[in-house]
Amino acid sequence: MLSRVAASLYWLSRYVERSDGILRMLKINYASSQDSVQEFTWEPVIRIFSGHDEETEKLGNNSRAVIRYMVTGKNNPNSILNIITLARENARGVQEHITKDLWQCLNEYYHTVKDGKLENLLKKEDPISALDILIKQVMLYYGTVEITMERGEGRSFMNIGKYLERGIQSVDILDAKFGSVDDNPDLLTDTTYWKHLLLSLGGYEIYLKTYREGFEAENVLEQVVLNNDFPRSVIYAVNHIQRYFERLKNDSNIDHFRELSFYIGRLQSHIKYSSAKSIKDEGLHTFLTQIRSELFGIGDALNNHYFANS
Amino acid sequence: MEESAYFNQYQPISGVWDEMYGIDSIRDHYSKVIDYLSRESTEDLTRKEELAKRLFMSQGITFTVYSSGEGIEKIFPFDIIPRIITAAEWAFVEKGIKQRLNALNLFLKDVYNNQFIVKDGIVPIDIIYSCPHFLREMYQLQVPYDIYVHIAGIDLIRDHDGTFYVLEDNLRTPSGVSYMLENREITKRLFPDLMPQCGVRSVTEYPTILYKNLLSLSPRQISNPTIVLLSPGIYNSAYFEHTTLARLMGVELVEGRDLVVKNQKVYMKTTTGLQQVDVIYRRVDDDYLDPLVFNPSSILGVAGIMGAYRKGNVAIVNAIGNGVADDKAVYVYVPEMIRYYLNEEPILKNVPTYQLGNMDERKHVFANINNMVVKKTNGSGGYGMLMGHASSEEEIEDYKKEIIKDPRNFIAQPTISLSAAPCYIGGALHPRRIDLRPYALCGPDGIEIVPGGLTRVALKEGSLVVNSSQGGGSKDTWVLA
Repeated sequence: MLSRVAASLYWLSRYVERSDGILRMLKINYASSQDSVQEFTWEPVIRIFSGHDEETEKLGNNSRAVIRYMVTGKNNPNSILNIITLARENARGVQEHITKDLWQCLNEYYHTVKDGKLENLLKKEDPISALDILIKQVMLYYGTVEITMERGEGRSFMNIGKYLERGIQSVDILDAKFGSVDDNPDLLTDTTYWKHLLLSLGGYEIYLKTYREGFEAENVLEQVVLNNDFPRSVIYAVNHIQRYFERLKNDSNIDHFRELSFYIGRLQSHIKYSSAKSIKDEGLHTFLTQIRSELFGIGDALNNHYFANS
Repeated sequence: MEESAYFNQYQPISGVWDEMYGIDSIRDHYSKVIDYLSRESTEDLTRKEELAKRLFMSQGITFTVYSSGEGIEKIFPFDIIPRIITAAEWAFVEKGIKQRLNALNLFLKDVYNNQFIVKDGIVPIDIIYSCPHFLREMYQLQVPYDIYVHIAGIDLIRDHDGTFYVLEDNLRTPSGVSYMLENREITKRLFPDLMPQCGVRSVTEYPTILYKNLLSLSPRQISNPTIVLLSPGIYNSAYFEHTTLARLMGVELVEGRDLVVKNQKVYMKTTTGLQQVDVIYRRVDDDYLDPLVFNPSSILGVAGIMGAYRKGNVAIVNAIGNGVADDKAVYVYVPEMIRYYLNEEPILKNVPTYQLGNMDERKHVFANINNMVVKKTNGSGGYGMLMGHASSEEEIEDYKKEIIKDPRNFIAQPTISLSAAPCYIGGALHPRRIDLRPYALCGPDGIEIVPGGLTRVALKEGSLVVNSSQGGGSKDTWVLA
């Protein structure tokens, strides 16, 4: 497979996964902003998905303004509009490597984001309807990938991109949410706070089934980092990166394969042999910073050895 | 036959060949389509028109216009009423194009080798050497099977009596074939069951034939040579076509940055290392192909590719330097080439053409400029043309000054009135001017032309310019069995 094609598939997949994370986060936070006695703050969401600058400063805590900035904001490089445009440009460049169904699906997603009706919903009507329309596009995308894409090298690169993005997202969300607790210790015992975090990761039901004693920060941490069966946990993402990377093994590129395989294995072991307690002892922020930097390291190594960008 | 409302309202243009309307009645080959249409209401047809637009849009058959940093998606206008060609007309066109293409291939071999045609005084030497597309780099370079033009898109038009004329030979990187294929797919959806009833010949063989020809050109005698389609990338307006063809043939679509030349061999960069490339179907112009030999600022091509080509380590389709054969000043000599190389009379006529480099002809053109179309010899896309009948005195005077600066660069042709075909515009059928571009594929087994092509249509009332950059659209093109 051409290096450029592999890189495009990887990025296309990362962008769609990122859009999924952003949309779910927005949806739950909007709902929670409508259901809050104290003033609701969008600050962590903005910090995770776009960072601070003058523009985000102006948004304040105006829910509609934040959502519009995150969904259709032209000046926000991480807005759904901008990342789906990039995903589609990547797909356009590899059209003969993805199925026609998948291309049409991404194309629809793009046209849906650009549609004036969506902007209207965000501006005047129910923003959740708009977010749901987009979330449905993401689900269509995942269904189409699952049903139509050839099980080969291309799909492995797509999956590596997807799980790398997901792992980084979960780490960032945890870091932001637990970081806020340091500033405001009351949150530690605020059950709605943890409930919303789980909802935004789609992990609410699993949590209820796993833990009987209500919403505890330590349990949330355990689930989001260490639960092998929770599809948004960090360990789940790393296991899947490992799984799809193994499939790229090929005699002609064996040195580079070994190098990356080593990075992934080391990261996998690091998480696997941690517990909620050991993480707390080590310091959650230190732990998450380490994991994040190793995930980025895997991305860099792919870039150098597989995407011919070295 | 009961004549429909659509037909009764139809006002053919006087003095113009109408593809549908014969002497006071519908031509036979259009009758089934008109019957079918007459059973549809205006609302039905308008809905079909919308369906067509939606299909083009949702399949991403679009090009992007970039303005103020934002991409706007556009579709090439498509008219839902097919253009129909009879079996007899097609047989004639097919024969004519094959003959012409044979002669042009022989001419290219000759002009880049012994130049017999120049020595025998048929084509003047200055016409060839002054052509910017004549490339000395091609001199005595042997190409597989002596085929230079593997893919030709020869433009045909019809005069007021229905005679076919060749307007242009496109022998470099002719585009539009994906529209031939996609327009057909859309028409299948718009008019269920109509095509089998009419006996329309299929065009789906095109990618198969092209692939077979590309495969036969591989310099390495191996069972599975690597064939790639080289595209300038996603910002090229024909990018959709490149991906369509790559997908239909199952070949890799590459950009210049995916390729690298090592030891005069071309490789592509893959996730498992370098892989040698045998055949390149390139959609990048000669000028941009190799920065070491041609335009040094080009990043679309591959440094060193010309060396690999000269060495015979890679086949390039179409050959480099073909522009000397579809130059508009050389065009004048094509009928002579056919007589010279094939000892046959040309089947398809040339449009009478005056070379403005010639004093007498220039005088004649200037005197009759209101009935002339003046074009640049290396122009395309309908840019830089002067339509004498539609230009002001001032425009004509300015253009004349341009001509006198460099007369070799211009030719003039009497205004040929393109034939007209019915288009569905604003709820009724109106005649609009059309041309025809069939796609001829030349391989070791000979020349094959899929029965069909691209019909371009000037959608503006009264316009004679069919180019998409100038408000033109396209139609599905039916060849009847």
